[in-house]
Order: sequence, then structure tokens, then C-alpha cells
Amino acid sequence: MRDLDRDLGVIAVELAYPPTPPLAAAVQRELGVVPDRARPHRPRHAPHRRPLRVAVIAAVVVLLLAATAVAASRAVREFLGLQGATVERVPGELPTRPPAREPDLGVRVPLATAERAAGFGVLVPGRVGAPDDVRLRRQTPGAEVALLYEPRRGLPRSERTGLGLLVTEFRGDMNPQYLRKIAGQATVVERLTVGGQRAIWIEGAPHLFFYSGPDGRFVVRPLRLAANVLLIERGDLLVRLEGEFGRDAAVRLGESLR
Amino acid sequence: MVDRPLDERDLVSRAKRGDHAAYASLVEMHQTIAFRTAWLITRSAAEAEEAAQDAFVKAYRALGRFRDGAPFRPWVLAIVANESRNRVVASQRRERLTLRAAEERRPGGAVPSPEAALLERETRTELVDAVERLPDRDRLVIACRYFLGLSEAETAAALDCRRGTVKSRLSRAVARLRDQMGEGL
Repeated sequence: MRDLDRDLGVIAVELAYPPTPPLAAAVQRELGVVPDRARPHRPRHAPHRRPLRVAVIAAVVVLLLAATAVAASRAVREFLGLQGATVERVPGELPTRPPAREPDLGVRVPLATAERAAGFGVLVPGRVGAPDDVRLRRQTPGAEVALLYEPRRGLPRSERTGLGLLVTEFRGDMNPQYLRKIAGQATVVERLTVGGQRAIWIEGAPHLFFYSGPDGRFVVRPLRLAANVLLIERGDLLVRLEGEFGRDAAVRLGESLR
Repeated sequence: MVDRPLDERDLVSRAKRGDHAAYASLVEMHQTIAFRTAWLITRSAAEAEEAAQDAFVKAYRALGRFRDGAPFRPWVLAIVANESRNRVVASQRRERLTLRAAEERRPGGAVPSPEAALLERETRTELVDAVERLPDRDRLVIACRYFLGLSEAETAAALDCRRGTVKSRLSRAVARLRDQMGEGL
């Protein structure tokens, strides 16, 4: 009879595990305790208080949003749509005090890992090259990949994201109503063609955007105010470029997506 | 005064007081076993990386509930295993257990003859394949005890069961493995 104990022990030594990723630095960044030039500023709160604080802020904003929507229902609205996103412009203005929170972009991963997990080739804006950081958000049906770029010349720092450029990508065909944006009258909402693809440019006063869950109901958690945004359909993908840059710069970035 | 390496209790104690460098040292001490545990459960390097990373973040936030003087590893492995189980996707293609190439093994050790090496390798590959055919429950208890070298207590924490259950489950798993290898009698 073979010595199973011995053989299993030998296998333990000879198993080909994937290489262990360096987790300590990533964990420290997730905890917001090491400098991360690409990471949006995160206010420090006691960890156990944070969920409650976020929930309260989100609830307040939902109430304000509901009030805005009710008021808007009595007036003419303007809808623009892409595969994966709708933009609704409503009369009046949106709440002026936004929830101070960072975008929920998922976990930090290498670009190749993000592509493998998401199952699509991630488009990178060639004008600015490789991103400083890549995030993968699995809660989005079909997964969502975010490319983070530090502020630099031509990409001023956004107060809302702390970044020079934030690119997010997901399968619009899998999530036709995934992104919803509500913009007030002070916000420019313009339909464009970028690289032969349908696009929407949103500029000016901050607008609210939030995601819909798998059941079609809007979820509160990622609700936040956004900076200037260019939305582009690229085949099945919906690409979103956010930053404090102007329309022409955004279009040039969009045209360089490869 | 001579600096001495900090032991785990010191690091945990300092981390509980908000010393982030101490917590980073704890993560570095345990990241390999955490990642491998996550990989053996999820069978996906990407999922395992996320599970282990999220588990360390959650463990940090739960340090206030960690009992002073208790071993850190089984506690954090329980969180890692829980995160990993939540990420197992039934339809996902599993990365298979394989043995490292011969040239990667036996660093500095005696080199067997080519025939002996081939025979050993075939035998062990058969055994790995037999482990892969076991039900998840049996495969995981073998992976924890033999492949990861976890203690009974650590295996119980990782598999969320009692130590006695680990013993009985391991005994049945090894018996099934012998059956698979044609040594049932």
C-alpha cells in the first residue's frame, strides 16, 4: 500500500500555486493609510462610524433627489440615452451640498487581471498612456473596470474624484439602464459623435449619477456628484470619461481610446 | 539597545492601537497562506487576490473584537475563507491543481534518476488528479491539512466547523482518496 501521507506531503511542496500578490501595500491603500497619489482624498473617520455616516448622507441625498424628481414631473424633462446610460435634465437646480464621498470603484488589480475578469478588452486613452491605477468592480453585472490617472498638465485635479482623469468601462448591452444621470438646467448636456460613435457630453454644474441594480431599481450606495463627463458607446462597451477638462479635450481623449 | 524582531502578539497589539506599519507587517507575514487558502477555495487567482485583500481590510476593521493573546492566523484565515466562499462562482472555469515543473523543484536537493523522477511525477500527478475528483468538502479538508499545512484548529476555522468534524471529515476524505487510487482493500 502506498504511503498517502508521504505523497500528499510531497505534493504540498510541489504544487504550482499562482504567485502571491503583494497584498500589504494594497491593503494599506484600501485603508487609506499610505499616500496614494492616484487615490481620491478620503476623510478620516473612525471605521465603525463610517457606514452609518455614509448611510445618513445617502438617505439625505435620496430625499433631496426625490423632491427634485417630483418637482420635475410637473414640467418638461429632457432625456438623452445611450446603451447603458440615460441622462435626464430636469427644471431647477440640484442639491448644492453634495455627499462628500469617494467613488466606489472596486478593488485594485493589474490591468490584465481586470480584462480577464471582465471578459472584455479594456480601452485605454492613448493620449495619456497607461493608467496609474486600475480597479475592478464586480458588483456591476458583467464587471466594471476603472482606469485612474493622476492630475497632470492638461488633466487638472477634480475636487470630486481627486483625479485628473477617471475612465470607467462596462458592458452597456448587458446593462442598458445601468447609469442614470440627473442634471439641472445649469448643466450642459450635449449629444456628440466621437470617433464615429454616439456620445453625450455633460458639463457645468455638477450632476447626480447613480446605478441601477440587477432588478432595475436604483441603488443608493454609489450615488455621488460628478464632474464633467463624456459618455461614449464603443460597440458593446459604455465608456465614461470624467474630469475637470473641457469638451474638446474630452473628445480628443475619447478619440484616442484603443 | 538592540532591536529585536517583533512577535505576532506585539504586532497585533500595536495594530489595535492604530499602528498601520504593524498591521502591514502582519499582512506580509500571512499574505501567502491567506492567498493560497483563497485560491484553493476559489480556484481563481483574480478572485483569490480580491478575497485575501478584502479579508485583510475587514480584519483590520474588526481588530477591536480580536481577543488579546489569541493566535492571529486562524482568525484571519476564517475571514479569508469566508470571503473566498462568497466569491465562488459555480459556472466559472476552475484553475486546476498542477505540480511545478521538475526544474523548479528540489532546490539544492538530491537529483533522482530520470526514470525515477518520471515515475514519481506520474504517481503524484495521478494523486493530484484523484484529489481533484473528490467532492469539494473532501478536497478542501485535504488541501487545508496537507497542502497548506494548517493545524486542526486552523482548518476548523477556515472550514467553519468543529475540530472533531475536521478529524472525521479528513478520515473519510483519505479513505475516498484511497478508493480512487484503487487501494480500497
